[in-house]
Amino acid sequence: MVKHHPDSNTLAEYSANSLPAAQSVCVSTHLDHCTLCQQKLAQLESIGGVMLEDTAPVSVDPQVFEDVLLRLDEVPDDRAANDANASTLSWTVKQVRQGNLDKLQWKKVSRSLRIADLGRIDGATEFSLYHISEGGRIPQHNHSGTEMTLVLQGGFSDESGAYHAGDFIVREAGDVHAPAALPGGDCICLAVLEAPLRFTHWHHRWLSPLLQLRAG
Amino acid sequence: MVDKQGEGARGQPATSAWSVPQGRRTDEWSLCVVRVAEHRDRAAFAKFFAHFAPLIKAFALSGSSLSAAHADELVQEVMLKVWQKAAGFNPEKAAASTWVYTIARNCRTDMFRRLQKFDTQLEAEDVGFELEGHEPTSALHAERGAQRVRELMNHLPQDQAQILAKVYMEGKSHSETAAELGLPLGTVKSRVRLAIQKLQVFMAAGSEE
Repeated sequence: MVKHHPDSNTLAEYSANSLPAAQSVCVSTHLDHCTLCQQKLAQLESIGGVMLEDTAPVSVDPQVFEDVLLRLDEVPDDRAANDANASTLSWTVKQVRQGNLDKLQWKKVSRSLRIADLGRIDGATEFSLYHISEGGRIPQHNHSGTEMTLVLQGGFSDESGAYHAGDFIVREAGDVHAPAALPGGDCICLAVLEAPLRFTHWHHRWLSPLLQLRAG
Repeated sequence: MVDKQGEGARGQPATSAWSVPQGRRTDEWSLCVVRVAEHRDRAAFAKFFAHFAPLIKAFALSGSSLSAAHADELVQEVMLKVWQKAAGFNPEKAAASTWVYTIARNCRTDMFRRLQKFDTQLEAEDVGFELEGHEPTSALHAERGAQRVRELMNHLPQDQAQILAKVYMEGKSHSETAAELGLPLGTVKSRVRLAIQKLQVFMAAGSEE
């Protein structure tokens, strides 16, 4: 049973596609496992539907309709073919959502920690999977931006509590913690570290203790 | 999976397809989509286009996010998707306007990514969640929810309605909304939460956290 969910602001942003892509992967993977949030999402999307229906229409040139008619018999792009390409982020996200985690490229950071770097999304986010071996612990660290975590397998505990598969956790900037895998198995988490000023300019690479570990 | 047996009316002969079957969402736009899905009905598609294309264009232009030419392109893309994805529309799970909204939202996100030349190969659908085929009990909630949202929307205070428009029509994040309106981020967040409470969005789904 999932106990920790995205808050209503996060779900609202997600329902309007205004959440950054990496965070959206966390939310969508949570949704894959949480019927409660699925229902909330349906309701939030209906806000969009009502607002669309009630907006003041803007006339469309009749030529647009003619153009669409000409294209109705087009065969849609075959996305499945593109997705077979393991270098694309689409493919990576699909593996994460389907739980095919052994297909990703893992890098051993310490005896109890492996990391799969999922790539930069939109240039401003750290987006990774963490595999903590049973009994293992991530060194204490703090956050200079928000950290969003989704537990995919197993569980972990930190100063604030214990979390299990499907749980969605947000740590604000300044929080300090040292997550440890719960007894009973390894723990795999999806984590997104958000740089605080996403839209103003591209940031220098993050220099958190975790990433120094990863670089080394 | 959609329970075809339980819907009963879906297999009606074409001549009576515009009649209103019992127990199904009855608005004319949902019926249009069903006609498109089942009969590749171009007349129903034209009717749907005439109603929604100007709304999608308004959506594309809101917040002056796209040029007029790109707005027309977005209308085309959304309407092609309507034609291609009509079979996946379940009138018992969502209003047609909500379904079109999700398509338009995704097409606009993908267009933004193309125009801004992000090199990441990721599309909105990769990180989206389609309710189709999931949790059957959500159907009734979604339908009631949409009706209630419509009724309650008119009673929202202006400051909350304005922020919902930024979020849903302009696709702005909370922090972009805060910057544009010169408000603290916390104020934007609490107005969104208040609006969601007033629209009783989560009443059917369970308690608000």
